[in-house]
Formats: sequence, structure tokens, C-alpha cells
Amino acid sequence: MSYIDLNVELSPEHEALKKETHKFARDVLRPASLELDKLSDPEDVIKSPLYWNTMKKGYELGYHSIFIPDTWGGMGLDPIGTHIVLEELAWGSADFAVALGVACFPAFFASMMPNDRMITEIIEPFCANTDATFIGCWGITEPDHGSDTLCPGTAAFTDPAISCQVTARLEGDEWVICGQKSSWVSNGTVATHAMVFLTIDPAMGMAGGGIGIVPLNIPGVRRARPLDKIGQRALNQGEIFFDNARIPRDYMLVDPESYEGIVDLTLATANASMGAMFTGVARAAFEAALAYSKERIQGGKPLFEHQHIKHKLFNMFTKVEAARSLSRAALNYNLCNTPPLTHYSIASKVFATQTAFEVADAAVQIFGGIGLSKEYPIEKFFRDARASLIEDGANDTLMITGAHALASY
Amino acid sequence: MPVFENTEKMYEVLGGLFRGLMADPEVLKSAMAAKITILFNITEPAGQIWLSHEKGDVICGPSSLKADVTMTLSGDSCHNFWLKKLSLPIAIATRKIKTQGPIQKVLKLLPLLKPAHEAYPEIAKKYNLPM
Repeated sequence: MSYIDLNVELSPEHEALKKETHKFARDVLRPASLELDKLSDPEDVIKSPLYWNTMKKGYELGYHSIFIPDTWGGMGLDPIGTHIVLEELAWGSADFAVALGVACFPAFFASMMPNDRMITEIIEPFCANTDATFIGCWGITEPDHGSDTLCPGTAAFTDPAISCQVTARLEGDEWVICGQKSSWVSNGTVATHAMVFLTIDPAMGMAGGGIGIVPLNIPGVRRARPLDKIGQRALNQGEIFFDNARIPRDYMLVDPESYEGIVDLTLATANASMGAMFTGVARAAFEAALAYSKERIQGGKPLFEHQHIKHKLFNMFTKVEAARSLSRAALNYNLCNTPPLTHYSIASKVFATQTAFEVADAAVQIFGGIGLSKEYPIEKFFRDARASLIEDGANDTLMITGAHALASY
Repeated sequence: MPVFENTEKMYEVLGGLFRGLMADPEVLKSAMAAKITILFNITEPAGQIWLSHEKGDVICGPSSLKADVTMTLSGDSCHNFWLKKLSLPIAIATRKIKTQGPIQKVLKLLPLLKPAHEAYPEIAKKYNLPM
């Protein structure tokens, strides 16, 4: 089932993109993520041919390059097209939607600073990759630093008493990296390249950072086992350790001069994308509950014919539409304007993930007892949505960061 | 003291840079294929420079064209950008350049601008601008 698009200016290309992505999400991502969800050991997920075949199919269709211009062989989507694709991918599977989106991060950042080395060693090979043998990840959080890494513009970010633990120091023409990234690095144990947020000048606090591209096959890099978690179980996540790992000087894309501003841009892009994706998860839960309510007979008539269920479903429908409206507007604005209005991306992430959680919760209730079982995907949507309230910045912390912008209103 | 003493001087230097580039058939072909009309909205000194993808036109001053990408920056930032002393993301992060237009198009511009980066140091030297 699709949805009626309220954007009357959507082009035929957008409609085709929505249709094609939905087909991939329905036929490939959804069944794969449900099957992989049954595996109790996350190590088995990344050993499974199903995981790799699904990632490969995503790469063959180009979804791994969603944020990169077509100049380099990326998808070259406009902001509305980006939103459409993210929503559809996550409708099928939040796990794979996040995995494919994050896979892009090192090459996406490199495309913002395309020196010759980045072009030939990162951007072009990544975009040309069709068998998921070039996978990126985003290493920002650490055992002692989670959502506080995402609060640019606040006083805490420039407090010299607080700095991150993974450090980089320049030795000749190389940066030497030491420390540990947390178990929440998406694609952490399967990635070939990491975009790592590093501390260069701790005297500047969290703002004294840099962003480097680290090939993960170099000496001094070690990975832990994948994380075992409540939801999005097909999304590989795990720690990365750096013990005097050396990268070329050219691989450090951002230094402390602009780190805080780039974190702001990153947050604006990542949170806006989360808003789009979890609109898709909310829609998946709503559609499943609506379909079930028309099949399931209780009290001599379909659930849908009961007034209270109608009321509940319409409330869910309204929330999904509101999440799409806000998340599309925020993503469109912030992919069209720099510096971005980051608090709108935060509002989109917070609202859409909360919507996904509330709609999935209501869907479980409509399903009744069977909703708690693994017979239907509803319980997985619920677990996936619960994870999103913390993923990419805990909503509570993000709201404090976003509220700083309101002070100047 | 701004690098460009007045708008006319800025148009002469930067307009000349772009006209020189568009005279190169390869650059012109790439610019037209990209289908992006760029507006450099410059402050200190105030001015506008348009690069149209239609015929590769370079227009200094107001125009009725519709920009796909607008970059708002000072004359000094413009000078430093073409000298490669200021990268686009850092300029954006430090609020020295503001952009309007889909980020994919902004990023698409970067490889197209490479010949301008290569040509500008000689032009700056010719006009005795600070390097």
C-alpha cells in the first residue's frame, strides 16, 4: 500500500522513484530484516548470506550513494527525492535503511572536500561499488560520550573540562589515532572505512575536534563483536579500537577551526534523515494495523467497524501525515540552505521517532495478543521504533540542544 | 580594507576569471551539462555575478535569471575561496559563505570550479591582489 502525496508538485520522476524504492523495500528489505531478526546472535547476522545479498542488492541499485551528487556516480537526488527514498527504505526495514545511509558517510563528507586523493581513493570507488565491499560507518560516540557529542552551539560543547577520548595527533605527514569508539557505531564491525570524529585540541573542549577518514584495514585498528540489542537487529553496530592507527594527512577533512560548524551540519543532515526514515516506520505500523483491522473479526464484525478502533486508526493516520509534513519540510530546507536551521531537523527527528513509537504501540494494541507474537512484524516495528528514541542522539538531549536556538526568537 | 577596492574592480577581476574559463570549450561543455545557474551574491563591495548554464554567459550585476544555487559571501571570502585558502565546507561551517539551493547541486559545483581555482592565482598576481 502506498500513500496519497499531498505535494501536488511532485514530478513523474519522484513518483517513479517512490514506486521503485517501495518495490525494493517490500520485496527485499522487509523479508530479509524479518528473517535476520530471528537470529539470536548478532554475529550470525553478518555471517548470513542473506545479510550480504541484501546489502549487495542495495548497492546494485545505488541506494548506498543516496547523498552523493551524480558528478561522482552517486544517486544525485534532490531533497524531496532523498526524503522519498529514505521513507520507503525504512518502511521496509529501519535496520537496512540506516545501514545504507551510514555506509555513505565517509564518501559523502569526502565529496564536500574533494581533493584529488579523496576523489580517486574514496568517492569514485565507493560510488562505483556494486557488491558492498566498500562500506562506510560513522564513529562519533564513545563509552563516556553519547548524545553530548551532538550539542554544538551549547556552552558544554566549548567547556575545556569536557573532551572526547579518541585523539589524533599530527606526526610528520600522518595523523596518529588512539582510543575507543562506542558499541553504537552503525556498520561498525562490517565497515571498510570509518568517518571518525576525533579530538585534536582538548583545550577547546568538544569543539576541538577533527573528522578523518580511516580505512579500517590498517595496522592499529581492531573491532569488537557486534552489539546484541532490542531493535533494528539487522543493523550491525559495534566498537572500534584505535591503537596508534596512522592515516595520511590528506585524510583529515576537518580541523578544530570548523569542527563545531561541521558537527552542526552533520546533525542537521542526520536528524533530518532520521525524521524521514521513522516516518516510514510509523507508516509501516499504521498500514499493518489498518489491514489487520479489516480482516480480524471480533464481536461479530471486523475490528475496523468498531468505533474505538476507527478512532485509534485515524489518530495514527494523522500522526503519520504530520510526521511526513514536518520531516519533508525540515529535510528540504536544510538540504537547500547552509548554515542549516538545525533545530528544525531536531524537531523532525524527535517528532517522527516519537510518532513511530506511538503508532507502533497503538498498532500492537489493535493486533491484541497476536501483536505480541512474532507471527506479524508489528512487534519488530515496535522494537525498532523504541531504539530510534535514543539512536542518533537521545531525544531528551537533542531537545535541549534544539531549544538553544529558541532563545534568539 | 577589502581586497577589492570597489565593485567595478571586483567585476573586472572575477568577471574576467569566469569569462576566461567559459572561453575554454571543455569548461563550457561541463558547465552547460551541469544545468546549474549560479549567483554569487557578494558583499564588501556589493555586487552580483551570475554564471548561466544556458549559453555559458557571465553577467556582472543584477539579472532576471533564476539561480539554482546562490552563494552569499564577502569579496574577501571570494578572493580567499578562489585562492583555495578557504574551502567550501569550512567557509560554510564558519558562516563565511551561505548557500541556497539543493546541497547536491552545491556539491556538484565543486569539481566544475576546479579550473577557476587553477587560474585565479595568476589573475590575482596580475592585479596585484594580496596572495
